[in-house]
Amino acid sequence: MIDSILLVDDESLFHLVFEDACSLLDISLSLEGLNSSDEAAKLFEGWQKEPAGKPECVFVDLNIIGSSYDGIELIRKVNTEYGNGTVIGIISSSNDEEEQEKAKVAGAQFWIIKSDDIEPRLEDFKKDFEGYKTKKLPFKVYK
Amino acid sequence: MIVNKETRDLLLEIQKTKRLFLEGNILKVIEAEEGDVEFSDYLKESTEKDKSARRRRLEVTKQVQEQNADLLNWQRENQHLTDNLKDALTNAESAKSDALSAKEEAERLKEEAVRLKDEAEQSKEEAEKAKDSALNDLDVLQKRSQTELISTIVKVALLVILSVGVITTIMYSIAMWTGKDTQIIGSTWSNMFGILLTNAFSIVGTIMGVKYASEGKENK
Repeated sequence: MIDSILLVDDESLFHLVFEDACSLLDISLSLEGLNSSDEAAKLFEGWQKEPAGKPECVFVDLNIIGSSYDGIELIRKVNTEYGNGTVIGIISSSNDEEEQEKAKVAGAQFWIIKSDDIEPRLEDFKKDFEGYKTKKLPFKVYK
Repeated sequence: MIVNKETRDLLLEIQKTKRLFLEGNILKVIEAEEGDVEFSDYLKESTEKDKSARRRRLEVTKQVQEQNADLLNWQRENQHLTDNLKDALTNAESAKSDALSAKEEAERLKEEAVRLKDEAEQSKEEAEKAKDSALNDLDVLQKRSQTELISTIVKVALLVILSVGVITTIMYSIAMWTGKDTQIIGSTWSNMFGILLTNAFSIVGTIMGVKYASEGKENK
């Protein structure tokens, strides 16, 4: 089970869906949700100095309305500016291969396609999580 | 994680008196002591209730999310329609403005055409006047030529008459001078002289009349 998850998504309703799905599937113990990539970047900046509370895994939406940058840029920042060590990936309704390639280059480890029936994908992800944690698994798209 | 006896008893007491159970992810870390069936059952029931509540909430949230997506789609569609309407309105206003410009241009052209028509009519009148004037001049010229011709004829006629008179007078004078019979020539001379005077006056009168008429026309 993942200790803590951070979800960065501008869609508040999805926060509830994701939280309940994670709880029902016993994916994580704690889950924090943020609505903007700016807030997430600020938190990661703080965790550089004091890593306590740093999430074990981060799910980032591709397009975060009202934020200074999109999900891919946030992943790039987390991986290059704030140091890695966190399993990070995209959760989006888009299945654009070009964007997936960009995310991979930015350091995303997975891409989960957001849909009504997200639980099977999260279950698959749960099984693969250890592989991401140890950086053994390559970039994967959960369709 | 195993909770102490106080906490365990408190949780069980709350469950019995208030029908309240533990909720959330904390249930995933709390365990019952081995052999503590009561607390183990409590935790199991709490977990089931929590899962059931979450499942219901998840379903409702998904439905709301779906409805929200529909609403967003409708909103997007409405926005699209509004944009289209705005575009159509802008186009209509632009077309109206173009039509007004075209109408103003047409009115300007119409006024220009009326002005040109007036000018053309004025030019036509001037041309007609010029034509009349030219015809008049031609008429005067013709009449002058006729007068001059008449004058020439009259002059020639006077010259002939005077010549005839002079010749007849000379012949009559010679006949008187030489003492020849002057009866015939005398009567001829007097007849001739009478005719000459009559004709001369007639010719002079005609010339004066023609001259007067010509001068009157020129003055006009």
